Amino acid sequence: MKKQKMFLKMITASLIRRRSRMLVALLAIAVGATILSGLVTIYYDVPRQMGEQFRNYGANMIFTPAEGGALSQADIDEGLTCIPEDNVVGCAPYRYESVTIVERPYMAAGTNLSEVQKTSPYWNVDGAWPSVSGEILVGKNVASTFALKPGDSMTLSYDILSPDGKPATADETRDVPTRDMTFRVTGIFDTGGNEEDYVFLSVEDMTALTGEEGGFDVAELSVSASSEELQGYADAINSKSIPLSSRLVKRVTQSENTVLSKLQALVFLVTAIVLLLTMICVATTMMAVVTERRKEVGLRKALGASDASIIMEFMGEGLLLGGVGGLLGSFLGFAFAQAVSVNVFNSSITFHFLLVPLTMLVSILVTGLSCILPVRSAIDIDPALVLKGE
Amino acid sequence: MSLLEVKNVSKIYGPLKALDQVSLKVENGEWVAIMGPSGSGKSTMMNIIGCMDKPSQGEVLLDGADIAKESNKALTAIRRDKIGLIFQQFHLVNYLTAVENVMVSQYYHSMPDEKEALEALERVGLKDRAKHLPSQLSGGEQQRVCIARALINHPEIVLADEPTGNLDEANEGIVLELFKQLHREGTTLIVVTHDPEVAEEAQRTIVLEHGRLVREIVNENFKED
Repeated sequence: MKKQKMFLKMITASLIRRRSRMLVALLAIAVGATILSGLVTIYYDVPRQMGEQFRNYGANMIFTPAEGGALSQADIDEGLTCIPEDNVVGCAPYRYESVTIVERPYMAAGTNLSEVQKTSPYWNVDGAWPSVSGEILVGKNVASTFALKPGDSMTLSYDILSPDGKPATADETRDVPTRDMTFRVTGIFDTGGNEEDYVFLSVEDMTALTGEEGGFDVAELSVSASSEELQGYADAINSKSIPLSSRLVKRVTQSENTVLSKLQALVFLVTAIVLLLTMICVATTMMAVVTERRKEVGLRKALGASDASIIMEFMGEGLLLGGVGGLLGSFLGFAFAQAVSVNVFNSSITFHFLLVPLTMLVSILVTGLSCILPVRSAIDIDPALVLKGE
Repeated sequence: MSLLEVKNVSKIYGPLKALDQVSLKVENGEWVAIMGPSGSGKSTMMNIIGCMDKPSQGEVLLDGADIAKESNKALTAIRRDKIGLIFQQFHLVNYLTAVENVMVSQYYHSMPDEKEALEALERVGLKDRAKHLPSQLSGGEQQRVCIARALINHPEIVLADEPTGNLDEANEGIVLELFKQLHREGTTLIVVTHDPEVAEEAQRTIVLEHGRLVREIVNENFKED
């Protein structure tokens, strides 16, 4: 039999045949590893989860024309190539035009309404979003002014440009011809913001109303990424030679950063405390094991075991416990993280296989550190004293 | 040259002299008994000869080398290579089987060999109990496992501390018979005992009292079989 085989036999026999004591240590390690694995999973998954939650608070990146003018769809598409496709939650370009409703001036926004639902999921719509041409979404303040409700009709008037290419002035209003289009109100929305004074229609309807295909004034993007990644995307876009400027919506990204950093600090603190408690528990248990096995250690030394052999045997037992506890903990930790994610963020998380060796490694390290004092006391045992006959 | 030579050895614990100027020689293949009442210094003597303790004064020559001057690490190596220990309380590892307990001694000495360990158990009549845990063995059987473990590495000296102290008469007889067999095979035996019947089996008996060697008795009736 090889020495290594005998070594393994001795440490496994010690763990198996003295299982009650070792189960306490294993349980402590497994609980520590579970919390570690669970919290690390959450630690790495929280930014994504939080990012998704923050996406509910609106766009976190905007594109504007670089030097006045307007954005073309081609410019926007070019800008989007700098952002991984999977990270783009939504991209809503807006073309704003002045319109009149019953001779009162308002702003109309032509946009991709299905994208607006993604970039601004917090909009509260009474009724439904427009789905076909000829339908319009009306802001709460506008609807209130004209006593509109879903299903009603409303007419938008757009001043046709004067022959010199300039829009009609207020004084000319009565003499300037307008293009009128009647829309069916599908929904009234409230956001708590300026948008409530606007009406929203599709880009195609805006083109039909104005009689020309204009560019976009702004594009709002909702991107699932950390603030560092977002800044990286913005910088990459700005460095490209396309006539658009990309910048972050600071109030969203900074809030996200603040919440994330505090949450991550909390997770880090809890993990550190749990690992410390695990170390104390394992060290106490191993110390009790050494005390319980004083005669055995004395015997081994009497038989010629060197200090290194004694260290190897106790460390071997501890590290084996650490490995098994870590393995158990990595799977239990995933279950714990999954439960937290489902209950708190209402979404599931994916299992990271790398976490298994990582948790095992940390558990082995923690157990190894916990064994230092007990092992020191083991090598200090004097065989002559503990083997003394009666 | 004697296998073991103890020269004017004293062991002093504060005001107490556990051993006081003790000298003795043990020849290769000799069977020596060390007798004395409790507190006479038998265990201290055993620990010093067994390289588990160092004398305060004097020399302990094993194969001509003074082990009193060796480091603890060197003493561990001497214990491992040259000495076989048998204890009154057996001191078997309770979670290892009989054969594994014998192999532990091989493990620290050189290379574990199950076949050799089983042969050692066969020699003490326990081959069929090889896979039993100590808790499944009687006291006599445990002591025989302890003897097999002491012999497995072919030590120069077998040191037995009250080897029959925890045994009934029948098992005491078995153990003494094993010692006789070992002696016939040329093993050097030093047996610490307070039992005159056990001491009578040895070639020579050293009597200690209050840490001093007070008598040395040569067994005239000792039979070399």
